[in-house]
This record gives sequence, C-alpha cells and structure tokens, in this order.
Amino acid sequence: MSTVDAIRAEWTKLRTVVSTPWLVLTAVAAIVGIGAAVTAARDTRGCPTPSTCFEDLPKLSVTGAQYGQIAVVVLAVLILSDEYGTRSITASLAAVPRRWMLYLSKIAVLTAVVAVAGSIGVLASLFVARRILPGNGFNTVNGYRELSLGDEPTLRAVYGTVLYLALVALLSYGVTAVLRDTAGSIATMLVLLYAAPILTRVIDDPVWLRRIDRMSPMSAGLKIQATTALESLSIGPWQGLGVLALWAAGALLAGLLALHLRDA
Amino acid sequence: MTTGRPGFGRLLLSEWTKLRTVRRWTIALLAAPVLTVLVGVQFAVSTEPGSPDSMLAGPDGTWVQDRFHFVHRPLTGDGTVTTQVASTTLDIRVPERDGGEARARDVERPGWTKAGLMLKDGLRPGAPYAAVMVTAGHGVRLQSNFTTDIGGPATGAPTWLRLTRAGSTVSAWQSADGAAWTPVGTVTVPGLPQTVEVGPFVTSPDAVLLQRQFGSLFSMPYQTYTTAVFERTALVSGEPGSGEPPNGWQDHEVNDLAGAQDPPPGTGTGGKQRPSGSPPAEWAGDRLTLTGTGDVAPHTPREDLVKQSLTGVYVGLIAVVAVAVLFVTAEYRRGMLRTTYTATPGRGRVLAAKAMVIGAVAFVIGLVASVVTLLLTGPILREHGFLPPVYPDWSLGDATVLRAVVGSAAVLAAVAVFGLALGAVLRRAAGAVATVIVLIILPQLLASGLPASAGRWLMRLTPGAGFTIQQTRPHYEQITQTCLPEDGCVYDQPWAGFAVVCAYALVTTAVAMWLLRRRDV
Repeated sequence: MSTVDAIRAEWTKLRTVVSTPWLVLTAVAAIVGIGAAVTAARDTRGCPTPSTCFEDLPKLSVTGAQYGQIAVVVLAVLILSDEYGTRSITASLAAVPRRWMLYLSKIAVLTAVVAVAGSIGVLASLFVARRILPGNGFNTVNGYRELSLGDEPTLRAVYGTVLYLALVALLSYGVTAVLRDTAGSIATMLVLLYAAPILTRVIDDPVWLRRIDRMSPMSAGLKIQATTALESLSIGPWQGLGVLALWAAGALLAGLLALHLRDA
Repeated sequence: MTTGRPGFGRLLLSEWTKLRTVRRWTIALLAAPVLTVLVGVQFAVSTEPGSPDSMLAGPDGTWVQDRFHFVHRPLTGDGTVTTQVASTTLDIRVPERDGGEARARDVERPGWTKAGLMLKDGLRPGAPYAAVMVTAGHGVRLQSNFTTDIGGPATGAPTWLRLTRAGSTVSAWQSADGAAWTPVGTVTVPGLPQTVEVGPFVTSPDAVLLQRQFGSLFSMPYQTYTTAVFERTALVSGEPGSGEPPNGWQDHEVNDLAGAQDPPPGTGTGGKQRPSGSPPAEWAGDRLTLTGTGDVAPHTPREDLVKQSLTGVYVGLIAVVAVAVLFVTAEYRRGMLRTTYTATPGRGRVLAAKAMVIGAVAFVIGLVASVVTLLLTGPILREHGFLPPVYPDWSLGDATVLRAVVGSAAVLAAVAVFGLALGAVLRRAAGAVATVIVLIILPQLLASGLPASAGRWLMRLTPGAGFTIQQTRPHYEQITQTCLPEDGCVYDQPWAGFAVVCAYALVTTAVAMWLLRRRDV
C-alpha cells in the first residue's frame, strides 16, 4: 500500500465517522460564536477615553480559538483512541503494516482537516469582528484602523491561530498515541492546556507568572495572536508558537515510539 | 452469584471492586489529590502579600478603615447628643487624565456615604465608637466598632438623629420633626472610658468605576466627598457650651492613612494638616457645614487565601471526571454492561450504586487533598507575611475553613456523579468528559472577557458555581465590595453555588435513570 492510499484510507475513515462533522462544526461555531460574544462585549465606553483603549483588536477578534480548540482536541484524540476502543487498530495495522506510515497518514489527514476548519473559523471571526467593532466605537473617528489582512501583524495573528490549532491537534494526537484512551487523553490535554491560565489567576509573583506563561503550551502558543505591546509579552509571538511546536514534536515522537514498541 | 435481587450492599461492593481493580483509574484517582496539592503549594510559594495603605486593627482585631471628618467635644459620663442632618451632597473627583467631570457621571455613586453623630473613645483611628448616621442608599443606620451594623428607618436627609450613652450602652433614635422619636437600635460598646468625644461626623467612601484596559477589567477607585449640613447640634448634659458656635466644638479629621498618631494639641477650626483635601468645618450660627471623605468600616483583603490555596481542586477535578465518566462508558464500550445487567437486572440500582461509589471516592479524594493542601500552604503563607490584621489567622478548625474543605470534597463528589450520569446519558466517553470539563473550566476563563454581569450569570448557572463554597472571606453588608466574577465573586452566599452543582448532578442522574429504562443496552 502506498502512502497516498494510506492517506486516502484515513480520510475515508475520518469523514465517515458520525462525530467528525459535528466536531468540525462545533469547533468553527465556537471559534466564531465565542469570538463574536467577547468582541461585542468590548466597547470604547469602558475605556478612559474613546481613543485610549489599548485593546489588541486582531487578537480580540480571534479569541474564540481558545475555546474552540476543545473540539479540535476531541477530534484529534478520537481519530486514534476510537481505533483502540473498537479494536479496529488491528485491522488498520494489518492493512498498513508499516506503523510509522499509518501514524503519519493519520497526522496528514488530521492536520488538513484542522487547518481547513481553523481557517474558516478565524476568517469568519475576523469578518464578524469587522462588522461589530466600528459600532462599539472602534472606528476611524476614534483613531482605530479597520481590521485587515493587509496588516502584517493581523495576518500573523489570523494565520498564526490556524497554526496554533493545528499544533494543538498534533499535541493531542501524540498524547493519545501514548495513552490510547479517549477519556484519559482528553483529560490530560485539558489539564495541559488550561492548568496554566487557572494557576496564573491566583499567583501574583511576576517571576513565576512569566515562567508559567512562557512554558505552558496554550499561553505560549497563543502569543502568536498578539499584535500590540509585543515588548511586554513574556515571550515573542513566533517563539511562543515555537514552544507549542516543541510540545507537539515531543508528544508526536513519544507517540511514535509507543506505537512501535508496544503491541497494538 | 445468588439468583434474584442481590442486596444493595453486595452491588456497592461489586462496583467498588470494578473501580479499584482498573490500574489506570487508580493512577488517575491518585493523580487528582497530588495535582491539587501541587497547585496549592505552587500558589503559596509564589505569592507575596501586597502592601496595603493602612494596617489598622479595630477593637476586635479586624482590619478596618477609619477616616472621617469629626466635629467633637468631650462628654463625661452619660449624655445625649442631637442634631438635624439638613442635607447631604456628593462630589466625585475624577482626575482630568481619566476624563474628569464628564467621567464622573458614569461612576456608580457610593451608597454608604455617612453623615450623622458619633461617640468615640478619643480621636485615635481604630478606637471603639458607636454612631448613628444617614446614608445615601441604605437609610438610617446604627453602627459600632466597625463590624456591627443595625438598619433603621429607610429615610434620607433631612432627618433628626439622636445618640444616647448610658454606661457602655449606646442607643440611637431617628425623628422626622425633632419631636417624635423612633428607636433605631441599641449597641454595647465594651470598654468605653468615662470621657468620650461626641459630635457630628461625615465620611464618604470611594466610588468605583469598572474599566477595561489591556484586555482586562480593572476597578478604578475615585475619591468622593460628602458635604452635610447639620443644624441645631446640641449636647444635653455634659459641659454646656457658651456663646457663639463653635463654642467648644473642635474640628478634627480622623485619618488612618496619616499614620495612627494622636492629634496635635490645640485643635481649633482650621490651621491643621488636611491630607484628604476636605475644607475645614464652617459654622454659620448653629448651622454647621462639614465635608468628609473616607470610610468607617471593616476592610476585607482582596485575596481569599483559603480559596486560592484550593484552586488546585479545579485541576484535580479533571482526573476525577475522566474516571467517573469511564466508570460507566467503559462498560458500554466493552459490552460489559450486559453482564452487569444480567447479574443485576435493576438498571436504576446499578447506576445508583455506581453513583454512590464514585461519589464517595471523589469525596474522600477531595477531603484528603484539601486538608493536606491547607496544612502545607498555611505555614508557607504566614512565613511570606500574610499576617493579621489584614489576613486573619485561620486554622482547619474554623467554621468557614471547615466549610471550604468539606465543601470542596462535596463539590468534587457532585461533579463526579454529574460526570457519571452524563456518561450514562451520552454513552460516549469523549462527549461526556469534554462537556463536563467545558462546563466547569471554561466559564472561569471566559468570564473575564464578557461584561461583568454576563460573566457573573455565566458562572452562576454552570456547575463551577459550586466552588463558591470555598469562600472564607467575611461578607459585610455595610461596605460595597467590588469583586469581579473571575475573582470568584459569583454568589454572596457560599451554599448557593453548591446547590447549583448538586442540581446538575441530580437532574442528569434522573435523566440517565429514565433513559436506562427506555433504551436497549
């Protein structure tokens, strides 16, 4: 079986599972819906003066990704854990005996689906934010530029968010390859992602805050969404995404090793 | 296996055996308290107390604020003081850089401005006192020693007020016309000396404006000034004044921020240091115009150390939820449930047994985790300088701390039962785990991005509201606490949130029972 065949087989599996379209839909809806709710909640009336809001508008418009990523995590976990749960992994390995090829073809399909869903989600968020923000006082009269992909930082925030979602999917996939279990993998991923923001809410020692902020996959990775006050970030946008990439690479490697060393 | 209906005890035993013999579940259940304790200790070692403006302690050791404008004269022995508060006006000062006058209109006006009569053991900030006052939004009140607050008639200025001292008992009265008097209440102020200072006082707490900046919500305090006009202030008994006012009334500003020292001698009207910016008292005949700023009230620290130490329960909870869900979905997945139902045909009873087992296990885990966490964080926090009066000493035996500890365990149990029941409803681990965790964790993060009221309702209606039971900070009616939902201010009453999470567990269990009877295995 060639690599293309293996990828095609994985695509067929993924698209025919009932949960896939629902999860993709949930991810897009959460990214756009929650992003719109949070964006609509910001108003220049809450600021000292209408023109001094210090609001990072591109980041605000794609905030929904922080929440929509849960559906991405579930999708990435199920693509592998379902095979272990139903034991169809034995059939899959019989069809594709080279385990790394099975592993990589799942990665290819997963990344493609998440990239497409993520792109739809963030582009729609940006479109919605462009409609909402001027009405809330973030308009040219008060000195705010309209959100535009022509802006280099905005482009980075938007496409960086898609990359972020893809990396979260890969991290989840790697974790699942090690744990094999649906509930365990989802729970582990959610601890990995959300423990940091919960911790940083109660800690006020700046050294520890910075340390946690730049090491945790979610807070570091989401730095890619920042477009203003970059110098005050604990880690730069691309470096932050790099931290998440390291997490993902580590998990993928561990998963591949686990797949090779253990019986299916 | 005996035939017929096995006893419920036997059913519990078999479910307990299933739970404890799966090695992964044991590991996850052990990870939960370890994560909880680690997060708590991490919080303790990385947190330092702020430096509050004042660390004044009241008569009972509570952290208090004591800042007001006082026109006073000595009263020896028993006596009565009467006045008419003719009017009160409020002035909110917003600095020009924050929008000045125009901004002041958006600021929520403080409801606890105070103008009335006070009787105090000298002029030292923090000294015992009793006072009757008319407030902007809470009618006439009788307050003493910072923490006692008794509500009187719900009227505003103009009104007559009277304060009577008899030994250590102080009574307050209110009247519309200065002739027919309504009692407001009576308080005992222990340790009042023979001679106290009495007279009109005015104070005005900060107004608070919620502002969004840099993507977060800030509460900005702005100083306010209340000006009250007092008429015909008279002291019955005590040494009578002679001649024109002030005829013995002295003007003094009690200010805990100026360093708790005795007032300089030779106090008269004017000529004194006024760091607050209030003008001196003005007399026109027996008409006194007095402007004050500050508050005479208990202070509460911004941090709730017990609740924050127990933050790790959120993280440990994720592991418990995962096991609780798997406890039922794993049986569906492996077809094991058919065997279970063959052994115990009563499906509702099986779910009830599972709920009791996982609930009890989660409760024990929560209890152990919270107790160990607090035993470790308490000494670390004290060492870091979280000391009275700002941070009162606490121990596991205190009623509120005990409630936080047992409450955390109970919330964990309720969430575990909720997860189990949702697992039985959805029959899929992924959906159930994700739903429970999303419902509990996400509102905590999302609340800071929404308007404060929407955020508060989001947190009130989701199962995470249960964690309000971890609150140990005292709640005082007589101060306006600006606390945002993301800081844990969801319900004022700690038990209210617990009821919410229990409702989630009970309703989902009921739905699961109903579905179990209707559906095929």
